[in-house]
Amino acid sequence: MTDKPEPLPDRLALLSDINAVKHIGMGVRSGRENPPYIELGRQVTSLPDDDVRLRVEPVRDLIDDVMHLYPPAERTRADAWLAPRLHATLRLTRREAADEAMWNHLALAVAPDYLVWRHLPAKGKDGLPPMVSASRFRGAHYTQGFSRLWWAAELFRNGADYAPAVVACGNQDVLNTLLRLDIIDHRPTAQAMIRLVADGVARTGREVNALATVANAAAGTLLYDVLAEDDDWYGDALEAWVAGADSAPVVSRRRLPDGPADDPVSAPAVDTLAERFRELFQDAPVRGRTAPPEG
Amino acid sequence: MKVFPYRTLAGEVALRVTAVKQDQKDLHTSVFSGDERVVALHQVERDDWTYARIGVTATLPVKELDEGPWQDVSVVLVLTEKATNARTTAVLRPRGSDNAEWTGRIRLWRAAHRSQAELSVSVVATVDGVPGRIIGGSEDNWVVDLTARTPVRRRELQINEVDFATGSEEWLRPFKDAPWIVETSGDLPTVHLNTGFEGVSELLNSGGAPLERAVRDMLATQIATDIWTAVFHSAVSDLELDEEGNPEWPGGWRDAVLRGMLSDVLPGMSGIDALSEIHARRRESSGWNELQPRISYAAGRRAKVARNLGTAIRVLDASQKASKA
Repeated sequence: MTDKPEPLPDRLALLSDINAVKHIGMGVRSGRENPPYIELGRQVTSLPDDDVRLRVEPVRDLIDDVMHLYPPAERTRADAWLAPRLHATLRLTRREAADEAMWNHLALAVAPDYLVWRHLPAKGKDGLPPMVSASRFRGAHYTQGFSRLWWAAELFRNGADYAPAVVACGNQDVLNTLLRLDIIDHRPTAQAMIRLVADGVARTGREVNALATVANAAAGTLLYDVLAEDDDWYGDALEAWVAGADSAPVVSRRRLPDGPADDPVSAPAVDTLAERFRELFQDAPVRGRTAPPEG
Repeated sequence: MKVFPYRTLAGEVALRVTAVKQDQKDLHTSVFSGDERVVALHQVERDDWTYARIGVTATLPVKELDEGPWQDVSVVLVLTEKATNARTTAVLRPRGSDNAEWTGRIRLWRAAHRSQAELSVSVVATVDGVPGRIIGGSEDNWVVDLTARTPVRRRELQINEVDFATGSEEWLRPFKDAPWIVETSGDLPTVHLNTGFEGVSELLNSGGAPLERAVRDMLATQIATDIWTAVFHSAVSDLELDEEGNPEWPGGWRDAVLRGMLSDVLPGMSGIDALSEIHARRRESSGWNELQPRISYAAGRRAKVARNLGTAIRVLDASQKASKA
């Protein structure tokens, strides 16, 4: 299996897609080879070195802890633990998190061993050995092994409260299906969908898929922003959070950390949409569901 | 064409930017262009701003609105960016007595955006008792470009002239023997032009004699063909699938590349059919090799190979004759 990088870089940096891709071969994806750590160190673009948020050590400690806390058989449960803590440790703005080159660096130079631990399938396909999908190393925000966790925490948190993000990450179908929808960029929509999951209305893969489908289809003719108006977002809380990275303690391993103290999502807006989604979902065709549930 | 289960606006909804502020400061009107529908936020070349405020006016087909079956009409300005999953909305207010013009402003936070945000307007009303129905919207949306100094639509391609061997981009070093490299990841495809490769940038920037121009155009064509081939492969291989496993239009430049080239790669197939077909062929590798000549043909067409090659042959011909004479 992949070894922990040696030498471990001190700081997060940018690794361009071109350089990332050439190291995501079958050897690395199957965990039989380490990425060429020394060579990778020469191919990165450094980021400002006075920024404490970019220190590798706190992130790497989290990764070591998550692999220690969860036995391999329960590794999917690790997402709900790691996502909020990764988000609270990095303290990135969306502007920064949108740079995929940083996630490439994390994936190949800082924690490829985690990606293999978390995403190596039990069986290979087409006679090949089991391999981690290349899109876990480099990919869209909803597939890349680290950015999916960061974005899930970002898009599903309710202000400083990561609890809805924990619900989202606790269900792989939610993480894989809802995270890729554009409609969750509207905060009340994201919260309303998570409420249905938390309430057990949509739980299985098929149910979550059906919920995603009806909510997405309805957004074609309904503007959720008007039906469920959210308060304006102000950047001040995020700015303070980023600035506070200097003096912030290490995120708690037991308690759920706090995110940036943005205003919580408007509660009436979430109620309105949750009710709407509940109605839509009851009429939705769900494979394997014979009759609509009571209600 | 999307079908709505209720009546929507037939008339045009137009959106224009009327003012831009950065933090507390009014920016000159030259930072935005109505013809290009672009706001260039980097004209002032500062990186320390926190937010920009964009004032807009939307014009609605007021006569149609008055006569139609719509109640509680509202006009909503929507600012989004795919790369940061950012979405901000602002409600516009009618100005004047006839409700034709609606004005308002929206705040763009720098921390929530990265490169190019899209600004559009949606008209929403209660229809048949259902509130929040989208009944119309702007077709020509604006781009708010955080990296542009002048308000023009960004080209489909970025050109980065850099010495591969000594430049700051260390990852280019291994390619120091190459005159150019095409990079298709990221917001825009980029061609990195190696200024350390003797003569390349001089040649590309040359004018002058017909022979020189012909060689320049040939080189430019070759680079362009390379680019078009690369962007096509990149766009096809990055396709995302919906829940049913059908490919989706990728958005951004990949969208433009596919929509433009698929008609040459798979002639006779249109739109989403061509997209599904190309995806299936690539995934199953059946018929993928057979498509390569068509892809190279489509790339060549876009790079204007035939025209430039024709010019080059004519010029070379003429110069040979001249030297023989």
